[in-house]
Amino acid sequence: MKPFDERLDTALADDNVRTGLTSFQRGWRESRDTMIGALEEQEGRSFDELRQEFAAIKDGVRDNWDHYIDRFTANATAAGATVTRVGTPAEANEAFVRIARDADADLVVKGKSMVSEEIGLNHYLEDVGITPVETDLGEWILQLAGETPSHLVMPAIHKRKEQIAELFTRVLEREFPPDDIDRMVKVARTELRQKFLASGIGLSGANALIAEGGSIMLICNEGNNRMSVALPPVHVVTVGIEKLVPTYADAMKQVRLLARSATGQPITVYTNFVTGPRPGQQQHILLLDNGRTAMNEDPDVAAALRCIRCGACANVCPPYGVVGGHAFGHVYTGAIGLVNTEFHHGIEEVAGPQSLCVSCGACAQVCPTDIPLPMQILEIRQDVVESGAAVPGGRIAHLGIGAFGHRRLVDLGFRALGIATTPLRRDGVTKIPAIIADREPFATRVGWRSPPAIPVRPARDTLKRGKLAEPTPLDAQPLAGRRVQLFLQCLSDRMAPEIPIATAKLLRAAGAHVMVPREQHCCGLPAYDAGEQDAARDMVRQTMQTLEGIDDVVTPASSCLAMLKHDAPHLLRDDLDGLERSQQLAGRTYDLISYLTAGPGRLPAGSLDNGDRTPVTVHRFCQASNTLGRRDAIEQLLRDVAGVPVVPLPEASECCGFGGSTSVRHPEVSAGILDRKLGCVDRTETSILITDNPGCILHLRGGVHASGREVRVLHLAEYLAGRLPDATSADGSPDASTNGA
Amino acid sequence: MNTTTAPNLLQRFAARVTEASSTYLEVAGWQQVVEHAGGYSEVVAIAPSLAAAQPEVRELLEAAGVRVVVPDGDDPAAEVADVPVAIVRAEMGVAESGSLLVSEHALGDRVVTMLCHRLIQVVAASDIVDRLEGAAEWLAARNGQPGFASLMTGPSRTADIERSLTIGVQGPDEVDVLVLTATDPTATTEDDA
Repeated sequence: MKPFDERLDTALADDNVRTGLTSFQRGWRESRDTMIGALEEQEGRSFDELRQEFAAIKDGVRDNWDHYIDRFTANATAAGATVTRVGTPAEANEAFVRIARDADADLVVKGKSMVSEEIGLNHYLEDVGITPVETDLGEWILQLAGETPSHLVMPAIHKRKEQIAELFTRVLEREFPPDDIDRMVKVARTELRQKFLASGIGLSGANALIAEGGSIMLICNEGNNRMSVALPPVHVVTVGIEKLVPTYADAMKQVRLLARSATGQPITVYTNFVTGPRPGQQQHILLLDNGRTAMNEDPDVAAALRCIRCGACANVCPPYGVVGGHAFGHVYTGAIGLVNTEFHHGIEEVAGPQSLCVSCGACAQVCPTDIPLPMQILEIRQDVVESGAAVPGGRIAHLGIGAFGHRRLVDLGFRALGIATTPLRRDGVTKIPAIIADREPFATRVGWRSPPAIPVRPARDTLKRGKLAEPTPLDAQPLAGRRVQLFLQCLSDRMAPEIPIATAKLLRAAGAHVMVPREQHCCGLPAYDAGEQDAARDMVRQTMQTLEGIDDVVTPASSCLAMLKHDAPHLLRDDLDGLERSQQLAGRTYDLISYLTAGPGRLPAGSLDNGDRTPVTVHRFCQASNTLGRRDAIEQLLRDVAGVPVVPLPEASECCGFGGSTSVRHPEVSAGILDRKLGCVDRTETSILITDNPGCILHLRGGVHASGREVRVLHLAEYLAGRLPDATSADGSPDASTNGA
Repeated sequence: MNTTTAPNLLQRFAARVTEASSTYLEVAGWQQVVEHAGGYSEVVAIAPSLAAAQPEVRELLEAAGVRVVVPDGDDPAAEVADVPVAIVRAEMGVAESGSLLVSEHALGDRVVTMLCHRLIQVVAASDIVDRLEGAAEWLAARNGQPGFASLMTGPSRTADIERSLTIGVQGPDEVDVLVLTATDPTATTEDDA
């Protein structure tokens, strides 16, 4: 396989990848959601209950792994199979070739098997003079093209029909019109049929190994897998030991989740249960470990062994949608590939791909076995950072995060930057002089997103006691007598002070006494996202220290809340005192929206209705949806309290591209995700985009400005503060501006 | 499995079968199955296990002037390669998914369902179960034997090219599910439950 950088460049240079995958992801999401909804209705239970039930079955197997492996082996052997445990890919390949030599076979027909890809079987066979023929249509296309799968279930999803027609025309030496997909599909039948009949070995994978009975469960839609199993005189199964389930009934639970999550079908056309060879046939089962036992011994990632290879995690992954599986993964693609690659193929192979993850959390929402993928990927990222493996932007990120830990240094730096860039400040952005802006690589790497204007004074200065005029109180005073510590969020304090300032005004107008702890800095999320967990822990602890007390803590940044509520307990799991303190803090910390809707600051309907009915749309910060479980709280508040029409944003909860450190390490990927987001905004035909996470806002504003769109991007606090009785502008801070339009 | 089939079970089964792009048909007995098959082709393959268990199917077909192929020779695949129509008997139907559980241990049985163009799957109404667990029970009761059982749900398909759905790939292009509504005594002679 080519190095990651090359794979990434190839993917970014091919427009087919992005257009094809965006349309695939959208179509898949719709079918999957419909199917899962129907399943919930059929079963009378939620998707969460169903997947947790199956996850518990899979975990139970791994708790007694040897027992189930032995039981499967005994039953399969009794049915006439030869079961062999293999440790490494080399052992697996050698075992396969021995079987082929014994059977005097030089042609192998292959049903789809990711394990055969994992062990690099095709190359190995070709080197020793045995011809493997892929028989799954997608895999066959890739074999003809000399490529590897870019998706676990839809291996050729990165290819457009025009490319496939051209390939067939060239290889099969007759004309294939690109619009005649039917003809391209049917040619597989005629081309492959003779291979099935002539081959000495049929290879298959297995979707499940059923300990009870010693059966292999094997699903497919095309029917090729059945032929690979049945027709040749020898059937070889290559399968990972994590595929075990105890009983047939357990396998049916997998069936219910698998196809719905994989292709959005209720069930695949064929669900085959193979127990031993047919009369006159030999069957060999190669049970592969290749890092699986080691994975099971690592509590941070063991749950990834529940994976049933449905590919759902790729189908909702924003960076996957831009670059596809050849870059987003190694042999195993998608989010799961960012986890298991370290164990199956080594840390060097995952170093590049893992740097693409935006930590949006979408994969964990759709995973049918409830694998906490986002958290696991950050563990892998930390392993990568610690290992010193080469990772894009790694050195700079390490230095940057190290420096960012020093609050005073950061303060000074931003003040200096604010002064230095004063002459360049225009329309809320920093206007980079053309002599730099038009040059490569600057134009490609930075040009898509105008950098924000850096104020000379951070929000904390403006918010010093007595500096900001008392706002006219609202009629409703839900926060009367309450003391609120405002957690500014490090970025908006220094790069978008209008956001915390508007938050303070709003809270004060609702009756709160707002305090701004002077020592506050950063919750640690950027460090955690960068795989720098020690630095992240230091920052969490520093934040806990500065926010001590019993008062409510409110932040305009939902990302900080996600960090305190969700990630800090994980980071501090070995520090009981710290863990308890972080949970206490998380218990009294709110993001603005939850403070105003579910918390003490509930505003009565219509209390911020100033009569302005200009429609708005809402981007749902991905982690708020995926990690904090927020749904349409902002939309509801805007409708009920502000009285404004809200046009639903398509793909509202999808990441905007700012997540993780992707926008710094892989700006072209981030730009692709942003482009998809802004395309959705265009479809709403609104000119005001509201969201509540400062990172998203800076990113979206930069993208709106650079693309010349006429859209104002506002934090919820700014929008609401702009509707206060005495509001003159949406922000109220002299040196801040709110949009790029 | 010989209990009377609840009408809504059959309805649900029919709905799922149709959604899987199969054709659903209720028939009174094997004579109607034969007429259905003969309407499509003058050559019909029968799975060897069915031919052995219910020899009258072959007789009925031949009486209707149909040439019958039973692939039980040395090279069963060659005997039925691209045969236009084939008939198999399913062990059960699953209402939840519209699947037919077909047990096909010998190569001759397997090639029939793999290589034909139109596959006729016959199941007794009394053998239709509610949920997939019914199929799991069947498998568990036999400990996986006789060795190869498939839940078949519709004609073969792919969406590997641009996620565009194409029906009829490497397996059958058409699947007809014929439910024997149990009045015909020969419909249940094979029942072993």
